[in-house]
Amino acid sequence: MVEGTKKRNKIFDYFREKEELYAGGVAWCPGCTLELTARFVPKVLGKDMVLVGCPGCSAPVFYGQNVGTWHRMTYYSCLMTGVPSSATGLARYYKKIGKDATIVCFTGDGCAADIGFQPLSGAAERNENIIYICYDNEGYMNTGYQRSSTTPLGAWTSTTPVGIAGKGKPTPSKNMPLIMAMHGAVYVATATLSHLEDFAKKLLKAKEKKDEGFAYIHVFAPCLMGWRIEPDSSIEVCRAAVRTNYFPLWEAENGKFRLTHEVASPKPVTELTKLMRKFSHLKEDGLAELQKVADERYALIKSLCDASK
Amino acid sequence: MAKAQKGQVRVITGNAAAAYGAMLCRPDVATSYPITPMSEVAEQLSAFRADGLVDTEMVEVEGENSAMNVVTAASMAGGRVFTATSSWGLVFMYDAVQQASGFRAPVVMAIANRETPGILAVSGGQQDIISMRDTGWIQIIVEDCQEILDSVIMAFRLAEDFDIQLPVMVNYDGFYLSYLATAVEIPEREDADQFLAPLKQQPERPRLVPGEPLSCGTHGIEIGFMELRYKHCAALERATAKLDEIDKEFGEIFGRSYGGQIEEYRTEDAEIVLVTSGSATGTARTVVDAKRAEGIKVGLVKLRLFRPFPRKRLAEALKGKKAIGVIDRSVGFGWNCGPMYMEIRALTPEIGIIPMLSYIDGLANLDITIPHIERVIDEVSAAAQGKPYQEVTWIPMEE
Repeated sequence: MVEGTKKRNKIFDYFREKEELYAGGVAWCPGCTLELTARFVPKVLGKDMVLVGCPGCSAPVFYGQNVGTWHRMTYYSCLMTGVPSSATGLARYYKKIGKDATIVCFTGDGCAADIGFQPLSGAAERNENIIYICYDNEGYMNTGYQRSSTTPLGAWTSTTPVGIAGKGKPTPSKNMPLIMAMHGAVYVATATLSHLEDFAKKLLKAKEKKDEGFAYIHVFAPCLMGWRIEPDSSIEVCRAAVRTNYFPLWEAENGKFRLTHEVASPKPVTELTKLMRKFSHLKEDGLAELQKVADERYALIKSLCDASK
Repeated sequence: MAKAQKGQVRVITGNAAAAYGAMLCRPDVATSYPITPMSEVAEQLSAFRADGLVDTEMVEVEGENSAMNVVTAASMAGGRVFTATSSWGLVFMYDAVQQASGFRAPVVMAIANRETPGILAVSGGQQDIISMRDTGWIQIIVEDCQEILDSVIMAFRLAEDFDIQLPVMVNYDGFYLSYLATAVEIPEREDADQFLAPLKQQPERPRLVPGEPLSCGTHGIEIGFMELRYKHCAALERATAKLDEIDKEFGEIFGRSYGGQIEEYRTEDAEIVLVTSGSATGTARTVVDAKRAEGIKVGLVKLRLFRPFPRKRLAEALKGKKAIGVIDRSVGFGWNCGPMYMEIRALTPEIGIIPMLSYIDGLANLDITIPHIERVIDEVSAAAQGKPYQEVTWIPMEE
C-alpha cells in the first residue's frame, strides 16, 4: 500500500488487469526489489517494447538458463558496454522504417554508472528516443556484492571490507540521476518500490515523452543479500530511504526540477542504516559523514527545484 | 543479369571509395566515429546523407565500441548496416565485434588498416586485422581503391546471404590506400540495386520486432552454445565458395572481378610463388613481371580472403611449386614469423614439404619496395634450387 491512502490504490489495477509476462517462479532472490521493478515496468508500459539489458542480476531471468527465457517479452541482450548504444541502433532502425517502438534499457548501477557510462552519456547527449531504467542496488550484487561507483560512503562491500585498516567505501556515491539530468535529458526521475504510484506516473511520463528524446529513471532497489537486510523488509528500506531524504523522489522535465514527494519532517539517515548490516560497523562519526552527504545532496536538489518554480 | 552501364569515373581516395560503396548499398543505419586514417569515410557518408543521396540513419557515436553495438542491434532488428574504423578503434570494439559475429549479424565494416599497440604508430600495417583473426568475422583484404568500392558492395551480398549471415570486414591498407586518390569507376545506383536485388528474394532472417516474444542473445550453455558455434563455423566454410560466386557474378555485370578468395598471377607454370596481400601486391606484380623477363619462373598469389582461410584454393595454387615466399605486413607474436606465413605453413600436408620463407616488411608505413621484393624472389629462387635459406627475415632489420 502506498502510504497515506485509505481506499485501495489504483496501482493494484496494474497487477490485476494486465497480462502476466513472466513465468511464475523466476531466478531472483525472495523479496528482491529488482524483481518487483522488472515485473512492474511492463505492467505500466505495456508489452509492445523492446527491453535491452546486459549481464547482471536481471540477466538470469531475461536471458534464461539454457531452456529459454523466463518471460514473453521482446528482449535484446548485449554486453555491459553496449546497452544504450544497442538501444540506439534499435530505435534508429525502427524510426527509419516508420515503426513506433518503445525502447527500454534495463540495467543495474554497475552498467549505468561504471562500465556502461560512456555510451549512456553519449545516448543522452544525442537525445536518442530511449528510456533508460537503472535499478540501483549500490554495487555489483550479482557477482558477489562488490563496490560500484554508486556504493555509498562507508558501506561494506566485498571489495571495501571492514577490518583494522578497512573502513568500508572511502568515497561517496556517484550522483547518477543528477548527472543524467545535467545532460539536459528530456525527462529524468528517481523512483522506488515503496512509492509505486509515483513510479508508475514517472514511467508513463517517460513513455509519453519518448518521441521528444532521452528519458532516465533511477530506481532505488535494495539488495537483501548484499546489504544484509531481512527478506521481509525490502520495501521498508525503500520507504526509509525516502523518509530520510537519503533518496529523495524528484523529476526533471525538460530541465524543470520538481520534488514529487516532499517529506514533511525527514528522519535521520540512521533510520535507514539501522535496517541493514552493510553500515553496522559505522560509528557516530561515520554516520554523521553519511548524513552530511545526504543533507548536501538534498539541499542541492531542493535548490534546483526552487529555482525551477 | 544485365550488364551494367559505364559508371562515372572520378579521382577519389580509398576512404571515399569505401563510402561510395556503402552509399550505393543504401544502409538503413550507419555509425561514424573518427580515427586516422579512416575519418574521411565517416565524413563522406555524412556528406552523402546531407546531400540527400541516402536516407541512412547516421549515428555519431561517442566511441567505436558504441559504433559496433549500434549497427549490430540495428542489424538484429532487420536493418542493413555499415560502419568503418581502424586500428585502436577496432581494438576498442573487440567485445562488440565478437558479439556481432556470435549474433550472426550481417554487419559490413570497412577498415583502413593501421598498426596497433606499442609506441604510438599512426601509420599503416595489418596488425589490427591479425588481432581480429579469431572473432568469427569474414575478413577480406583488398589491393586498390577500385577494389575497395567493389568489395564493399560484394560484402553486403556475402554478409546478408541467407546461407551465410555473418559480418564482413573489408580491409585496405591505411595511408597507402586510405589517402591515395586514383581513378575509380563508380557504378550507377540502379546497377548496384540490381546486383543486391537477389538478397530480397531469399527467406527473411529472424528479426527483433517490438511486442513479439523473441529474445536475442540469450543464455545458452552446453548443447545450445555448441550448436551455435558449429553452425557459425559451417557458415564460415560456406563463405569461401560463396565469395567466388559473388565475385564472378560481379565480374559478369560490372566487368571487374578479383578472383574471389585469392587472385593468382602467372602461377600456372611458376616454379616459385610469392604470396602477398593488400596494396603491396601491385608492387609485387611489377617485380614478378621483371623477374619473368629475366627467366625466373615466379608467380604471385594475392590473398584476398583471410577469414575463412582459403585453404582449398591456396593448396591448389601452391601444390607442386618448388618454394614459397610470404610477405607479411604484421607479426605473429610468439611464433616470430608472419601470421599469413604461419597459416600457409599449416597447408604443408596439402602442398608438400618445400622451402617456405617468411618475410616481415612494411610495418608502420615502411615501404615494401621493389628492391625488397626482388630480394625475396632471389632468395626463394635460391631456396628452390636447394641452397640454404633463412626461414624468417625481417627485411628492414637486415638492411
